[in-house]
Order: sequence, then C-alpha cells, then structure tokens
Amino acid sequence: MSEVRFRNPGWAGNTGEFDLNEADVRGTGYVGERALDGGHPSVSPSLPYMFVKKDPDAPLFEGPYRERFDKIRSRYPTARAALLPALNLAQELRGHISPETMDEVAGLLGLSDAYVRGVATFYTMYNKRPVGRFLIQVCTNISCNLCGADEVLAAFLEHTGTELGQTSSDGNFTVVEAECLAACGFPTCVQINSRYFEDVSADDVPAVLDRLKRELNRSF
Amino acid sequence: MAYPYRHDKETRVLSECFGDPAARTVAGWKAVGGYGGIARALEIGREATIEDVKASGLRGRGGAGFPTGLKWSFMPKTAARPHYLLCNADESEPGTFKDREIIRWTPHQLIEGCLVGSYAIGASHCYIYLRGEFFETTNVLARALEEAYAEGLVGSDILGSGVDIDITLHVGAGAYICGEETGLMSSLEGRRGEPRIKPPFPAAVGAFGMPSTINNVETLAAAAHIARHGGEWYRQWGTERSPGTKLFCVSGHVNKPGNYEFPLGFPLMELIEDVCGGIPAGNALKAVIPGGSSVPIMDAADCRGCTLCYEGVEAAGSMLGCASVIVMDETSDIVKQVRRMAHFYAHESCGQCTPCREGTTWATRILQRIEDGRGTEDDLDTLVQISEQMTGTTICVLSDSLAMPIISSIEKFREDYLALIRRGERVGAA
Repeated sequence: MSEVRFRNPGWAGNTGEFDLNEADVRGTGYVGERALDGGHPSVSPSLPYMFVKKDPDAPLFEGPYRERFDKIRSRYPTARAALLPALNLAQELRGHISPETMDEVAGLLGLSDAYVRGVATFYTMYNKRPVGRFLIQVCTNISCNLCGADEVLAAFLEHTGTELGQTSSDGNFTVVEAECLAACGFPTCVQINSRYFEDVSADDVPAVLDRLKRELNRSF
Repeated sequence: MAYPYRHDKETRVLSECFGDPAARTVAGWKAVGGYGGIARALEIGREATIEDVKASGLRGRGGAGFPTGLKWSFMPKTAARPHYLLCNADESEPGTFKDREIIRWTPHQLIEGCLVGSYAIGASHCYIYLRGEFFETTNVLARALEEAYAEGLVGSDILGSGVDIDITLHVGAGAYICGEETGLMSSLEGRRGEPRIKPPFPAAVGAFGMPSTINNVETLAAAAHIARHGGEWYRQWGTERSPGTKLFCVSGHVNKPGNYEFPLGFPLMELIEDVCGGIPAGNALKAVIPGGSSVPIMDAADCRGCTLCYEGVEAAGSMLGCASVIVMDETSDIVKQVRRMAHFYAHESCGQCTPCREGTTWATRILQRIEDGRGTEDDLDTLVQISEQMTGTTICVLSDSLAMPIISSIEKFREDYLALIRRGERVGAA
C-alpha cells in the first residue's frame, strides 16, 4: 500500500504520513501527554479525546471527569455557560448524547430538561445517536468540492460499504458529509474522529482506511 | 522546512513563524520579539494602546472590516461591571483557513493579542471561542496557554504590572452561526447560537449582559504587533483605507493553494498567476470568490486590475470579506457550486428569522431542480426575487450571504443556468 504524504505538516507531521497511533488520535502526539483531568483550569473545557473507548453508561461525572467538570464551572460566571463544555465532556465519555444524557446534564447544571434538549439539538457535533468507532466527516463545501470532494466521499462510502450517515455492520465506520472544516487550501479535508486528514484524494481512501483498521487492531 | 508554500514577494508579519514548531513555546515566541507588545502596552497605558491601534488603521479581519481601535474605544472607560474580550476562533466561512494556521503555528501570537486587547478594553477575562472541530488546534493552544500561565504572562499580576487577565478556551460544538458576534455570545452563555438584535451593541450589553468586545483571531494577532511597534509602523504597508498586511487564503483551482501574507492592495491576478503558480493544466480563469463564500462572485473580467484591499474589491463589484480567495477555472460548474453553497446556508441557518429559514431552504430546492435539469427560466426570476427578500430583512447577515452569490452568479453566469434549463447541458465538471 502506497504511503499518503502530508503537504501541510502539523505538530505530528514529522512522519510525513497518515500514520496513526493512539497518541495521535488522542492528541497526545501533538501536545505531549495530557492529564485526564484536563490540566490547567483555563483549558478545562472539554478536549474531546475521541478515541478513548466509549461507555454509553458511564457516570456523569466521576473521578477525573468530575474534576474537569468542576473546573469548567469555575471558569464561567453562570452555570448555564458550562452547558456546551459539559455536553462535550459527556460525549467524550459516552460517545453520543442521548435524550437521557441531556436530562442528566440538565440536572447537574440546574437547567430544565427541555432547555438542554433545545440547545443540544442546535449543534451538529453532538451525536444524537451512536456512531461508528471512526466517524468520517468529508468536507464537500466549495473549495474541497472544486477539487473532487464528491469523489472522495463516494470512495469512502464504497470502501466502507455504508450508506451516507449509516454505520457499517461491524460498528467501525460512519461516513457523513461535513461543512467547511477550515482547511480549504488542503483539499479534500476529512475529519476522522478528532483528527484532520488533508489533501485526501479518492485514490488515497483505501490507504487511509487501511491505517484506521490497523489502529483498531492495536486498540480493541 | 518550508511552510507548505512560500513566495519571495510575501511580507510576513503574522505568518513569519508558520512551519517552525519552535515558535510554539514561550521561549521561541520571545526569541522573535514576542510578548514585547503586551509589555509596551502595559508601559504606555490603556488609552495610548487604543490610540496606537486607531492610528494603525487596523480593520477587523473577520470579514466586516470595522476599525478595531474604534471598536475598542466604544467600551465603557470605568470598570463598574466586568468587561469581556471574546476572541472569535470559530473559523468556518467556506474558503477561510487562516485562523487555524495562526493558532496551530503561533499560539502565543494569539495569546499576546488577547492580552493586549483585554488590557486595552479593561477586561479581566478573555474567552477564546474555538470551533469544536479544532481538536489539534485547541490542544496546541491549550499547551501554549498552560505555559503562559506558568510563566506569569497570563493570570493575576501579569508581568508584575498588577493587571489581572485570565484566558479561557471555550470549545464550540459545530454551528457556523456562532461565528456571528452576537451568535457567539449566545453560544458562550450556553444557549442556542442565535444572533441577537443590535442595539444594544456588545460594548453596552454583551456576553453575560456585560460590556464585551469580539475580535477575530487575525485582528488580535495583528494588534499584538501594533502594540509592539506602534500605529505608524503598521501603515508602512497597505493603502490609506486598508493599512497593513493580510493573510490571503487561496483555495480552489490553483497550483499552489495556501496562506500567503501581503500588504493590502496586492493585485489579484498576480496572486493567482504568479504567487499561486497559476491554474492547473493551463486552464482559463472563470470566476473568483474573493472573500469567502458570502460575497458576490466575480467573473474573469472583474478580476483583471482588481487589487485586494477593502476598497479595491468593492470597486470590482464584490467584497474583501476575510480575503478567502476561491479560484474557479473554466471546468467549474457554477450552478452546482452555488447550489452547494445554498445547501450550506440552509443547513446553518439558525431558523429565527423567516426570510432566512425559508429563503435558504427554498433557494436550495430551486437550485437543485435547475441542476437536475428540471428548472424553468422563471426559476431564475424567482431566485432573484427570493434573494432580494432575504437581503436586509433579518437579524444577522447569514441570509444576505447567500443572496449575494445567487444574484451575482445569475447576473454573470446566466448562460450556465440557461444551458441547463433549455438544453439540459451542464457547463463544467467540477
């Protein structure tokens, strides 16, 4: 399998490849090992470590997650303002935000259930239902579109054997269309969990998926 | 290692350290003069700092181009209530990718800008609103911020001056409308990201009901340099009405897309043909969107002689916006791209105002019908009519942002629409 080269090397770009390991997808590869409690209070708002194993029944919140939740609360003058970070944190733990999760977060912040549902459903990054282990978001907005994003999207659907928005039968992949990811100079941009893949062409797709599958074998 | 693409003609102020991981540390940023801006601001005082930014003529880089110094001067002079600085890092205008690069390569540049801005407007707390997708970006900034706290550059008694400035990273959750300043405030407060009617303006009633100022990432980064060198220094670049340098995000059909920094007033065709290495396969230029997807489309004739400054692009019939130059060559399918943009605005409309909620949706359906070869010539009139009703009739400018590309594309590329409508022929493939 041919290597896929980065043209816009970032923090983890020294390898110059789409070579994922857990540190990369959890972000530790970019910024050094981070404490699970989120580090300094100023950065307590959730940093979604998307590749930690999800537990839909995880408690809200205990241990290091409770610490982060308390830090989040301390950074805002109102409890309401902690809602988005708290939902981020809940999704980090549980993988998606079910109506029950929304109600629990409402209880934690003293907000009404209806209010939290109204807010949570406004934002696209809260998965309202479970998604695959890898959520593949292909930007098909104008700049990427001009450079062949539709073909990239079609290739991801073909090689994962899924329909748009549906999860593959093995629970590994969900492919969706994304709006502009702010990487327009490096088309096509694909966000997979929390990681950006740039300059992806339709021909690169098998190599990218191959990397992801190897990552699954390592971590699960 | 060279940052993806560089060009000899560039004037790099903000992008000097792009591609150099060393600049991500406090020591690395100080080595290039970093944190000199906040030090000088603390020395000369609040009023003088605002005067410097006023004198520089810096205009907001988020798209509107409002003079930054003037915006800062609207803040109450007394600190009877808490003031907030909100940094807009919710970069999501299609075609724009400068803020992400500023933050991931030079996080301390933004932190310093936030300190300068906070100090100037008397804010003791600054929130940086990052878009939720920016995981790597947020992590890079988080580490830089932790280091800045540890070094006493942020927090209480910064640089031993007795001034307290806290910075908090606030991560959003995926909504284009949160990049609108009042939508951003709503979202920060834990609400649906719905824009608010102005007045009251944020400087009077902003985040949490307190006086607030919202600035773009690039604006604050530039302000850090202006605080360091003074206002006149910044005027050595650019034009009278558009001073300074600007990052131009070039994407689409060019050989070397990327971020290039030039003084405002740089010729558009030189940017495309020389700096970006021209159009692939020697194709001819068809259209350019000069300021992100929310501005009128220019055809090739408009581009000739166009200079990239606020007044220059206006004279060519469009707007500079955030200088996100989307280049479309002769293979481009204008109808498809406008339909795709309409789909985006329909998806991102917050739904408060009827002209926007209904207009973006119906425009998308009509454009889809035309693209599918089922349109009529009357549809073009209907689209123009809907667009006119979407202009100036809503709380924010999201619906205007769709109206402009629709009206301008029908005006300039009517033949493309008619080819589909009359003969079912698609013009262009991309």
